[in-house]
Amino acid sequence: MRLKDKKTGFLLRHTHLLHVAPVSVWVVLFVFAPLVIVVYYSFVSTEAFGTIIPTLTLKNYEYVFHSALGRILARSLIYAMLANMACLLMGYPLAYWIATQGGKFKAFFVFLVVVPSWTCYIIRVYAAKMVLEESGLLNDIFLRLGLISSPLEMLYTPGAVLLGLAYIWLPFMVLPIYAALDGLDPSVLEAAADLGATPLHRFFTVTLPLTKGGIFAGTILTSIPALGDWLVPYILGGNKKWMAGNYVQYYFVVRGDFSIGSSMAVALTATVILMIYLFTKLGGEEALERII
Amino acid sequence: MKSTLFGVTLLVYCFLWTPAGLLIVYSFSKNRFGIKWEGFTLKWYLHLLNSPSINAAILKSLIIASVTMVLATIAGTVTAYGLYKYKFRGKKLLRTSLLLPIVIPYVVTGASLLVFFTRVMHIPLGYPSIIIAHITFSTPLAVFVIMGRMQRMDWAWEEASMDLGANRLTTWRKITIPFLLPAVISSAVLIFPWSFNDFTITYFVAGLGTTTLPIYIFSQLQYSLEPVIINVTSTIFVALPVMGLFIMSVLQKERT
Repeated sequence: MRLKDKKTGFLLRHTHLLHVAPVSVWVVLFVFAPLVIVVYYSFVSTEAFGTIIPTLTLKNYEYVFHSALGRILARSLIYAMLANMACLLMGYPLAYWIATQGGKFKAFFVFLVVVPSWTCYIIRVYAAKMVLEESGLLNDIFLRLGLISSPLEMLYTPGAVLLGLAYIWLPFMVLPIYAALDGLDPSVLEAAADLGATPLHRFFTVTLPLTKGGIFAGTILTSIPALGDWLVPYILGGNKKWMAGNYVQYYFVVRGDFSIGSSMAVALTATVILMIYLFTKLGGEEALERII
Repeated sequence: MKSTLFGVTLLVYCFLWTPAGLLIVYSFSKNRFGIKWEGFTLKWYLHLLNSPSINAAILKSLIIASVTMVLATIAGTVTAYGLYKYKFRGKKLLRTSLLLPIVIPYVVTGASLLVFFTRVMHIPLGYPSIIIAHITFSTPLAVFVIMGRMQRMDWAWEEASMDLGANRLTTWRKITIPFLLPAVISSAVLIFPWSFNDFTITYFVAGLGTTTLPIYIFSQLQYSLEPVIINVTSTIFVALPVMGLFIMSVLQKERT
């Protein structure tokens, strides 16, 4: 304790308890306990109306594995990684441009990236639908330009889901990369140029490796929520090709079969934790620090 | 090289803004469906004012977001102070645990809370369950935002106050709280729209009666009754973060 206390009452010697005990209790009660219960549900069977049959079983996992787990979890991973690549390919140039060419208006250009991410998620999905649907903006433009003679079917395709995921999560890729680029020491770049590196060479040998932390932070912030998304495949994918989130939503909300839903929820959470572990290993401590 | 980069940047900005822009523009269109422009009108905004179901949804969302904002910000401030100022056993564990609600997929958080509320705690679904869920995912945000600011603060003032004989409570009241205020306000400004906008977690724990605005929009979307009404409410949703971010940037300028 930094501050000197003359009194030696228990609470004064343990003032930190006043500060951290309430939240600790809350986290145990409303984060850990629900997760433990989901794990428990995933190992027992439930009858209609939710009566638990309290014998441990692997039946739910078998069911999930046979019906979906492999296929749906693999699809979720592929979608999340592809959307993440799209975010990186769009986000890096954008962040680079703001950091190098933004000048006095840097804050404003960052603001333009942040605003969409603060808008309600369901509205952004709906807005994406307005662009992609049969009578939507893209078809309207293509028809007017004479590029196509009849409207394309873009909605309810895997492409629409990918585009939607990239659109929703892009801001979270730009911000950490921008922060990393903006914090770059200009003298390092000058040194590289003085030593004869071409701009392109300099970018790949100096700038890119030095912003690795930002890239992995952005990767965590985009691929993790994309992996757990259910509204984008539900609305833009027409609820046809499920991702893991759709499976959880269906079994919990529509079917009320908490056991089967729980097994998928556990599998999804395990995958997420594994991915975070992997990305922080690859991206180093900096990746984790840049998230917070 | 530079112009290619600028071209890409412009395209990415278009990608980010076209859908929202489309919503805003067509919320003023006379046409009820789709993107055929038939002239400017404000009648949908007036219609919104007279729609009891939307107003009820907005009111519910406002209540939930306000309660969440106040409670989560207080909890976040107190916890951030404890985590920053003191060394104690289990500190790292607590920090990591606070990351959990942020990184675990929303469907899993929502589903696990649903099971917990209905099967274990028997908390009625509605305001209590929604507010508990919102506090659970908002408090960690407040903690990390405020802790980030604390690292850049000058703490000598606090020690000076104690050395000059003020007790801890007076020091809190006169020094710590005024010093932390900008950080506290920016975390509140962050949490309010976060809670107001939340769809997935609320969807799981809301039960039948408590229709917040995002849930109302979702139900409208499924039956596509009044697309233009969605546009109108959406425009309000876009305006809200612009205002919030504006407040935050003003606060940031004052501090530096």
